Amino acid sequence: MSDDPEIEALVADRYLDALLAAVDRHADDSPSHAGVDPEIREAARVLRASLVRVHPSFRFEERLAGRLADLAGAQARPALAAGGGGGAVVPFPGASPAVFDADPLVAAILAGDLDPSDAEAMDRATRQPVPRRPLIVGGAITSAAISLVGVAYVAWRASRPAGHGTGQSNRAMARAARAARARRAAAGVSALLVATASTAAAAVGTAGPGGPA
Amino acid sequence: MAGPVLGQRARTTGASVVVLDRDRSLVEAARRDPAQFDALYRKYLAQVYSFALYELGDHHAAEDATERTFLRALAALPRFREQARPEDGPDASTFRVWLFRIARNTVANERRSRRRRPATSLEAALGAGLAVADPGDVEADAVTRDEATQALRAMRALPDDRRRALTLRFVEEMSTAEIAGVLGRSEGAVRVLIHRALGAVARELGTERETRGPGERR
Repeated sequence: MSDDPEIEALVADRYLDALLAAVDRHADDSPSHAGVDPEIREAARVLRASLVRVHPSFRFEERLAGRLADLAGAQARPALAAGGGGGAVVPFPGASPAVFDADPLVAAILAGDLDPSDAEAMDRATRQPVPRRPLIVGGAITSAAISLVGVAYVAWRASRPAGHGTGQSNRAMARAARAARARRAAAGVSALLVATASTAAAAVGTAGPGGPA
Repeated sequence: MAGPVLGQRARTTGASVVVLDRDRSLVEAARRDPAQFDALYRKYLAQVYSFALYELGDHHAAEDATERTFLRALAALPRFREQARPEDGPDASTFRVWLFRIARNTVANERRSRRRRPATSLEAALGAGLAVADPGDVEADAVTRDEATQALRAMRALPDDRRRALTLRFVEEMSTAEIAGVLGRSEGAVRVLIHRALGAVARELGTERETRGPGERR
């Protein structure tokens, strides 16, 4: 790149500084425009008048303020995650589920696993499927168990020749369904949430095992 | 963004200066009590929303992007590092630059996920906001609605970085240094981006005038 475009750009930049400052102080004098192409000046004049700042609706503003307050409340709470590596039952943290529905990446940001100002990291994160909420609630335990049984059934069927062992598969499905139902009845934890230690830490804004402080 | 941490004395050519960030007190209050983030939210809501609206051209998409930007900013606030350089001046806000970097990433992801330009035009989305004739206009003649529509159309046709630079310069009234921080470019590169973008808009406006003829312009 030659010096000329940079010098022209610098002169135009000074002109824009003066133009925008004049608007701010409601000055009635035009800024000095020595050396600035008249067409550039005209484009700047049109853009300065056309590109207005827009305020969102009051309803949106207050709804988002409420969600931010929810998230702020969750951040202010002490760590709720229980110890242990596999999984833990924890009370529901302060943040409303709407916060995590609005942005599934918030949990990872809270945990310090993701920097939202890093373009590359955000690009990678948004290209990967993100778990909606790191929580499993009450009856979802059963549906998850049935889903796992379904996967196991498909794998089992794929390993068998066609027309072989159908009765056996029905018995396996029945056993799995009974086991899921029994687990659901025994648990009785519809008000509790199950999460792994690391995802629970993410939800309340503390670092998981091995994570940053 | 390289530079001394705010509040510390930064040595520059033998002299020492104290670099301040105009949002420092608000940021510190929000760090102590996350509920105090509300003040920063109210202060920058219209700016972030406007940026998203000019980028996405749709009110609903702009609201979604604005919501995500502020939720992410609050979630990441404990790790935000206040930094400024002496040349940024006393009015610099590295918090605003940081917030707009988050907004830029959020908007970029939103644009990619939609995989196409918005069905509604930016001109339609802005509606009555077009062709605002400021009584205290520094130029003699006001901008006509046609000129404003033409300028917005020209902006929409610009490459992403040029369009964003123009939006940050004219809508958010950011300095070149701030825009450089948001876009992750050098100040020289930003100046050239803006100059070329203005040239493209000027050509579009000139072409339109030639089509309509000199008598039709106010």
